[in-house]
Amino acid sequence: MNSHAAIAPSLLARIGAPVRRRAAFLLLMASLGLGVLREAALGDAWRRPVRAEFRRVLREAAGGGFSTIAVTAALIGLGLVSQAIYWLGEAGQEGIVGTVLVTVLVRELAPVLVGFVLLGRSGMVAIVELGAMQAGGQLRALQGMGLDPFRLLVLPRVAAFAVTGFTLGIIFVLIALLTGFVAGSLLGVVQLSLFGFLDAVLRAMGARDFLLFPGKLVMIGALVGLTSTITGLSARRGDSTATLLPRGFLRGVLAVLLCSALLSLAV
Amino acid sequence: MSATTERATVLLMEAAHAETEEETGVFDLRLGAGEFALVLAPDPARAALFADLAGGTVAAASGRVLFLGQDWARVPHDVADALRGRIGRVFHEGGWVPHLSMATNVLLPLLHHTRAPEGEARDRAADLARAFGLPGLPLGWPHASPSGDRARAACVRAFLGEPSLLILESPLMEGRVPDLMARLRDAIAAARSRGAACLWLTASALVWDDPGLPATERLRLTDFGLRAERPAR
Repeated sequence: MNSHAAIAPSLLARIGAPVRRRAAFLLLMASLGLGVLREAALGDAWRRPVRAEFRRVLREAAGGGFSTIAVTAALIGLGLVSQAIYWLGEAGQEGIVGTVLVTVLVRELAPVLVGFVLLGRSGMVAIVELGAMQAGGQLRALQGMGLDPFRLLVLPRVAAFAVTGFTLGIIFVLIALLTGFVAGSLLGVVQLSLFGFLDAVLRAMGARDFLLFPGKLVMIGALVGLTSTITGLSARRGDSTATLLPRGFLRGVLAVLLCSALLSLAV
Repeated sequence: MSATTERATVLLMEAAHAETEEETGVFDLRLGAGEFALVLAPDPARAALFADLAGGTVAAASGRVLFLGQDWARVPHDVADALRGRIGRVFHEGGWVPHLSMATNVLLPLLHHTRAPEGEARDRAADLARAFGLPGLPLGWPHASPSGDRARAACVRAFLGEPSLLILESPLMEGRVPDLMARLRDAIAAARSRGAACLWLTASALVWDDPGLPATERLRLTDFGLRAERPAR
């Protein structure tokens, strides 16, 4: 009886521990997300070091991610846009090219791919930077100097990632459409001018698409920032880049996919 | 101790803190404006805990810790942060943000807590850097800077902005930067003359015993808290 009593809590603890850990992470995400929204609206939160950190992260994330986004978008333009133009033309359905591209490229593919590039290019850097600070005792030093680590490290990163997500998303779609149009023209399957093609895409966008596309980009960028900073700042004793990076990557990928799917269903 | 009652109290500690169930440290310290306490703290972790208690980032288990008359346990979070802007600190582990340059690191607290123009702040930091033996405001990265330069830059950061309290955790890096001693002594004397209090924590008995350091109090940090003790001379 005693042995049963001893085993039961141990078994329950083993089952409950990962559930509690994941629930705690989601609650932490929600609370920090609300904290970022609240603090971002306060002028006092944006002091000089916070603004400088925002500019630094924005420069590194948007500037550093530009070439990766340009190459990825060009490949998507060649592989998806030109193929859509070609095969819809073959099927005599040129009229729905805009609708197909808006549904597949603008609403679904672009936000997810931008989220992945942002996660791999800048989210991983944030995890390493903040994980090293947590392990090295620099957070204690910041607090000791009266510098709130949330304001100095989390707020500017999440805000910069949200702006970067939007910026890179717009660039991604423009390059993908242009590359696809050029490839289609070279294959001789495009019957429209460039402006006619872009006009067809724009006309296929409904009011909800104008809301969903930027909303997804901003939300996905902010979520990548949140998952990365939380993973870095919650580094435990014994954690290393070998344990932190896979954890942060998994969390980031799940956040990007869930956000994209839920927003697509909601809007 | 009689002089302390006449001076404005900068730091008042009447607190206890339990590191483990068996060990409860009692911290009883009053530092007035212009006073200088030298604390022998052989254990860096315990020294860091004591410094954090004094700086209000670790809450005392019982009792109170007051800085400039404000109880750390009672002031709101943002007020506590603003008060910490009046404390200049040297951290045992450095406390350098690795992805920021040394110059940005040094200027970080001043630019955060004040509205001083950046150019003016840089000039003041460069003057202090020269006073501590650097050629100017250090521009490299923390991981690429020699430890001696980091020790001097840590002093620049602590003394910049004329703080009311200086908490120095092993500023000489346990004797690895011996030529910093005289410059630091001068800087402490200047800070004390304008009314700042100084709390210097050292693991070195030689530093603690140094008659050249004009400490108003010499204390020892033990398992049971702070103990007033005379150096064995």
